[in-house]
Amino acid sequence: MALPPLPKNAPFSAEDLAFLNQLVQRSTPLQRSWLSGFLAGLDAAQGGAGAVAAVQAVPAQRPRVPLTILYGSESGNAEALAYKAKKTAAKLNCDAKVVDMGDIDVASLAKSKNLAVYVSTWGEGDPPQRAVDFYKELMSDAAPRLDGVKYAVLSLGDTAYVNFCETGKRIDARLAELGATRIHDRIDLDPDFARAASAWTDAMLEKFSPAVEAPSATVVHVDFKSAAIDDEPAEPLYTAEDPAEAEISALVNLNGSGSSRETYHVELAVEADGFTYEPGAAIGVLPENDPALAADLARAVGLDGDASLVAKIARGYDITTLSRATVDAYAKLTGRKDLAKLTDAEALAKFSADRQLVDLLSEYPEKLTAEQLLGLLRPLPGRLYSVASSIKAHPGEAHLLIGAVRWSSHGRKRGGVASTYLADRRKVGDRVRVYVKPNRHYALPADGNRPIIMIGAGTGVAPYRGFIEDRVETGAKGKSWLFFGERNYTNDFLYQLEWQDHLASGALSRIDVAFSRDQPEKIYVQHRLWQQRRDILAWLDDGAHLYVCGDEKGMAKDVDNTLVKILAEPLKGDEDAGRAKLKELTKAGRYQRDVY
Amino acid sequence: MTERAKNEVVKENSRLLRGGIADGLTHVETGAIDEDDTMLLKFHGSYMQDDRDVRAERTKKKLEKAFSFMIRLRLPGGHVTPEQWLKLDDIAGTYANGTLRLTTRATFQYHGVIKSNLKRTMQAINAACIDTIAACGDVNRNVMSASHPFLSKVHKEAEKLAIAFSNHLLPRTGAYHEIWLDDQKVIDTSAATEESEPIYGPLYLPRKFKTVVAVPPDNDVDVFAHCLGYIAIVEKGEVVGYNVTVGGGMGMTHGETDTFPRTADMLGFCTPEQAIDVGEKVVTVQRDWGNRAVRKNARLKYTIERVGIDAFRAEVEKRCGYQLGAPRPFSFTSTGDPIGWRQSLDGKAADKKWHLTLYVENGRVKDTATVKMRTALREIALAGGVDFVVTSNQNLVIANVTAKQKPKIEALLAKHGVVIGTSSGLRRNAMACVALPTCALALAESERFLPGLITDLEDILDSAGLREEDIVIRMTGCPNGCARPYLAEIGFVGRSPGLYNLYLGAAFNGTRLSKLYAQDVNREQILKLLEPVIKRYATERTEGEHFGDFVVRAGIVAATTAGNNFHESVVLAKA
Repeated sequence: MALPPLPKNAPFSAEDLAFLNQLVQRSTPLQRSWLSGFLAGLDAAQGGAGAVAAVQAVPAQRPRVPLTILYGSESGNAEALAYKAKKTAAKLNCDAKVVDMGDIDVASLAKSKNLAVYVSTWGEGDPPQRAVDFYKELMSDAAPRLDGVKYAVLSLGDTAYVNFCETGKRIDARLAELGATRIHDRIDLDPDFARAASAWTDAMLEKFSPAVEAPSATVVHVDFKSAAIDDEPAEPLYTAEDPAEAEISALVNLNGSGSSRETYHVELAVEADGFTYEPGAAIGVLPENDPALAADLARAVGLDGDASLVAKIARGYDITTLSRATVDAYAKLTGRKDLAKLTDAEALAKFSADRQLVDLLSEYPEKLTAEQLLGLLRPLPGRLYSVASSIKAHPGEAHLLIGAVRWSSHGRKRGGVASTYLADRRKVGDRVRVYVKPNRHYALPADGNRPIIMIGAGTGVAPYRGFIEDRVETGAKGKSWLFFGERNYTNDFLYQLEWQDHLASGALSRIDVAFSRDQPEKIYVQHRLWQQRRDILAWLDDGAHLYVCGDEKGMAKDVDNTLVKILAEPLKGDEDAGRAKLKELTKAGRYQRDVY
Repeated sequence: MTERAKNEVVKENSRLLRGGIADGLTHVETGAIDEDDTMLLKFHGSYMQDDRDVRAERTKKKLEKAFSFMIRLRLPGGHVTPEQWLKLDDIAGTYANGTLRLTTRATFQYHGVIKSNLKRTMQAINAACIDTIAACGDVNRNVMSASHPFLSKVHKEAEKLAIAFSNHLLPRTGAYHEIWLDDQKVIDTSAATEESEPIYGPLYLPRKFKTVVAVPPDNDVDVFAHCLGYIAIVEKGEVVGYNVTVGGGMGMTHGETDTFPRTADMLGFCTPEQAIDVGEKVVTVQRDWGNRAVRKNARLKYTIERVGIDAFRAEVEKRCGYQLGAPRPFSFTSTGDPIGWRQSLDGKAADKKWHLTLYVENGRVKDTATVKMRTALREIALAGGVDFVVTSNQNLVIANVTAKQKPKIEALLAKHGVVIGTSSGLRRNAMACVALPTCALALAESERFLPGLITDLEDILDSAGLREEDIVIRMTGCPNGCARPYLAEIGFVGRSPGLYNLYLGAAFNGTRLSKLYAQDVNREQILKLLEPVIKRYATERTEGEHFGDFVVRAGIVAATTAGNNFHESVVLAKA
């Protein structure tokens, strides 16, 4: 088996690199061990003269430790942390491999000596979609004993949801139940996890791979695999912590007058160096709150005179989420006895169902200091939107498709923070802060000749605009078929003229639409899928990739079930067989979902 | 080969009205159908339209025009049962814009049906035992008959002729059933099994063809405005025959004086037994003699203008194989509807039913915040035991009401804010076409503009003491003249947004066309121009003299004595 080549960024000229690669390729493991030890010893013997930073970074003082980094990721955060941990681990002489929960069965866990788990929680306490089977297996009676396995769990979640970090908590407890040893305490993190996660990873790795007092070996182990592995996600240049500035160059409500919808096409011009993304990625927007809401919040605690405080919380703090943590903190801070009745989970769920922080502070009013108020608030998280463009078609631009979220409850008009930030509080020419969230589990097939079937409702059509644009730019010849659903044909056919152009040019081969409210019976995309099942099966036989994007509860679940039925039909309607077939497609990367 | 109008080629290549309609319906990426197919679709009773109010915003929103379809029913005689009314009302709510539009040719129109619902709407209409074939297009369109069939035995005869003639001239192509009904025939509208068009031929007519049956003294159907008219001649309560008129028509083109509205000529008298045959021969002569090169000169009125009525009559008689009789005397009093209750004209006093002619502004049956006419009519239909008849003035007759039912119907109408009378004689005699935002031809507002203008004019009428005076006022958004504006005593034809040509001097009974009085005038100018004329009329009119007759006698406009002098002797008033 061929060894991976030396990383391109290794500190050698291209010529030397080629020479070294040749040499390394035909070397035996023994030769390589000898050589690395020899070279390390050589520098040590030279007393550091000529030593460079890269060499200093080579950890010579640690024994080699195997480590399985297991992740369960929905939006890619846990996955990114897992790969980041692997990089750090390599420096600590850990032989780390990263494994997706979607690709492993629980039985093989028992073989891992050391296990670091990065897992997020989705919706109302559910595991990420690709991790569902693993999770079920782990929780079942059939799960193997894990005596002798050392582990640690990092749990991602959102305090805005009642069952905060539920999946991580349960996995942590279950591993212990199965006999594994918790070597480092679990941490539960909110969306602003970056710094805390990094610190936790360092501390966790220190436990798995402690530095030893005395140098025990002259041979330095270099983990060749740790660098330049093909399936490792590239880290984006612009992150939530370090966003890029973008200028809004277009902002159009795509729904026709009289629509019940409000969906904005937003074009962002990003001049930042190296800003790029792949179709299927998400663009994060760092929003700001409605200043009026910030003022209301300050007024509720008697701080409305403090203009700079109002500006500060409007810009950087989450002032809408009403979480258990906030209620507890507020109760503790104010010592209000009447808040005790909200500590019951059910009562809190009922109270917070359609209320926000401002309601808590207004209904249980207390005077607070600015510091006390800030102490109650978490940083305002970014909001991710599936990118609706290809950067190849629009250099330096990212286009987003954003549904304005608005509702009324308890006598108050409310709006989604990020969607109304763009829809109402920003105009063309204004600047916004954005970042890139790659999603390698939602991407075009590498082979441009592969047919693709794209299923999306509402804003779920966004990535497909990027897909088709990308395929036009790359000259991909594969067929494409779009299933689009919304409420009304006349006013809600998002990007209609563009789809018409793509059909005319052949960039889009087929389109089917489902408009639920145009006729007495509701017609959704899954109904169109079922109608077209014969052709869908034929496309799958031709190697088509299936994509689903949009609302999980409102669409993706029904689409999933329909796909099972479609796959089951040639198998005598055996839905278990259909489900297995769909799983195969998932494993093969041919059924990809971006649902929210 | 002589040059032919584009429509002629489309018809020829259409495989008897099929074209690409069926395929066009399957293209889900667009709400439109192919342009050529839109011409053919008219023969099936539907026009493709788009909401012109929102045109400007659509491209920016990456949306095509807001296309939808108007569907017109073929309803000779205009009568529907309560059961049918309920079905038609359902369709309006389910597939159309929530309104039923009564038309100036006594049928129903739906607006705002989108392409994906077109076929199921057609099927729903057919399930109500009504079809839409030949409601538009270059064929004999919906046939109107006088007032309503329950008024007298004679009116019933008029309706029978209307239905029989409409059915006789139905296209025989199977295209309609094939495209809309999946060949399921709820009602058999294609008599022949073999597919050919024995009367029309494969090219159908050069242009639309309109037929009506009138029963004097009412000229509610505006008999002289139509290609073919039957005027019932009644002796001792029986129809003894018909005076046949030919060559009437409203449409013209702005700025082209070789186009003009025309009142029909008298062809001659025929017996009831000959009526359909004579009509068919009129149609076939027009089929063969009509202008298929220049579409705007293709209607029967121009054929007759070109060859003369005598030559035309000779050809019809030749094809009939018999001579037509000399026209019998008759006289018309008015073109309007008698709003309110009236009883049947014949029968035993004890059996006489009541009939309520309900004024429907612009023919639009709808619910507003204060007036819930659609709901009221629905409830009346639900109660049953009556009949509904659409009039040629966009009004509705609730017919066959017993004395016992009468107060119940009045109560139902009152409950939903529907007033039986109108605010003035002017409004009682008002008619407007649909125009903006759906009609593709509209140059200006009509249905959305006329009611407000009448309100303004009512102030002037009040000050002249003429509020209850019957004056015929009509408006159209383009010169095609769906609301027959050139036969109105006060007529408006749209020129561009907010601007109208003002016509005066037509006869109250529909026998004389009007004359252009002012060009490109806006609301303010209209009021300024009409105020002195109305005031003069109030003081100078003779006993019983109608407004249209007065303006001619007073020399305010010259009389138009025939279509071909419509554009002559025009002296424009200064606005």
